[in-house]
Amino acid sequence: MNENEVESQLSAMFDGELPAAECELLSRRIDRDENLRSRWSRYALMGAAMRSEPVATARSGFALRVSAALAADLAPKRAPRGRSLVWNTALAATLVAAVAGLSVSMLRDAALGTGTQNGVGALAGVAVAPARAAAVLTNEPAPAAVALEVLNPAPPSYVTPAGSAGAATILRTQLADYIVAHSAYSTPLLRRNVLSELITSEDAMGIVSPHTIAAGSDATRSTSGSSR
Amino acid sequence: MGPDASDLSLVQRVQRGERSAYDLLVLKYQHKVVKLVMRYLRDPADAEDVAQEAFIKAYRALPQFRGDSAFYTWLYRIAINTAKNALAARDRNPVSYELDMHNGDDSTDMVSRLKDPETPEGLALTEEIRNTVNFAIDALPEDLRTAIVLRELEGLSYEEIALSMDCPVGTVRSRIFRAREAIDRRLREVFDGGLGRAEELV
Repeated sequence: MNENEVESQLSAMFDGELPAAECELLSRRIDRDENLRSRWSRYALMGAAMRSEPVATARSGFALRVSAALAADLAPKRAPRGRSLVWNTALAATLVAAVAGLSVSMLRDAALGTGTQNGVGALAGVAVAPARAAAVLTNEPAPAAVALEVLNPAPPSYVTPAGSAGAATILRTQLADYIVAHSAYSTPLLRRNVLSELITSEDAMGIVSPHTIAAGSDATRSTSGSSR
Repeated sequence: MGPDASDLSLVQRVQRGERSAYDLLVLKYQHKVVKLVMRYLRDPADAEDVAQEAFIKAYRALPQFRGDSAFYTWLYRIAINTAKNALAARDRNPVSYELDMHNGDDSTDMVSRLKDPETPEGLALTEEIRNTVNFAIDALPEDLRTAIVLRELEGLSYEEIALSMDCPVGTVRSRIFRAREAIDRRLREVFDGGLGRAEELV
């Protein structure tokens, strides 16, 4: 298509006499071609001059000012969306950290026997009842880890190898899984802090290995026996 | 094919998020909208501000434009409402308007003067452009002059012009294009003739 034909099309498009499909293509070409754009503007100018419209309007850069105003008008609308995303992420991270911290605290209290009455009772129930049920099923003092796996098959864990034992361990495992599953909403620093808290709590509880749990199972049985 | 076919095409591009298409609509209708607003606000600088606001409002409302009416009809309605609102706001705040008019701020006054098409410079430029266009039209062959006048002054479609001039639509399209080319050559001579200020128009 020669240049004259394009300019003829431009004139027809200006009058709304070009088929829509051609308008689409030509208007994209105008975006790239400053000469066509200037010509479009002069077509508007000569029509305005013929109709005695205020042709000097454009001298103040009217179209440019509208374009700049639109750009400025649209920019602030995007910013809050960005801030909102950051804010929501921070809020989600804070909530995850708060839930995790509370759970760790409750686990520690339960293990050390220093929690509130209700908290200790609830967690002790979780820890003791499965061990008792395991003893009934196996009819002998089985390691708590094996019994718990039979009774409460744990969901696939992201971070904890199979074989970790104890109700508290399962809760911690679930907690750790929760933290990892929701890691998209927290920062690495927050995750590290929460996981460090978990490890610290394990040390404080002194139930980090199956051997420790097995060694303590007799004591657990005697505790449950005495509670009957 | 209606006179709004190309406008609708541009509108659809804007609705798809291509803002550059809206620039062409602004370039096409800026003179008409400013003239329309000046019926309500006599001050040309105020009229330009209100016209600018009208274009911005129209842009924001474009996602809701369904093409039930022609784009320019819809745009004019927005411009008239914006002008009426501006007039009402001015009536509610006559004191601040007076202060704005007499605050003696030279920089504001200069901006206003530069924007004002009715300053001596603006009027001279307007006159120069009108004369150039009129001389160019007078110099056109009869068939080209008739075609461009029927189109620009009477607002007839190509089909209506073809009926009026008893020729094919393709011929009308060609005549209007050739008329515009002839006028455009004269305009560019004005722009290139050392009148740098005229270049700012396009």
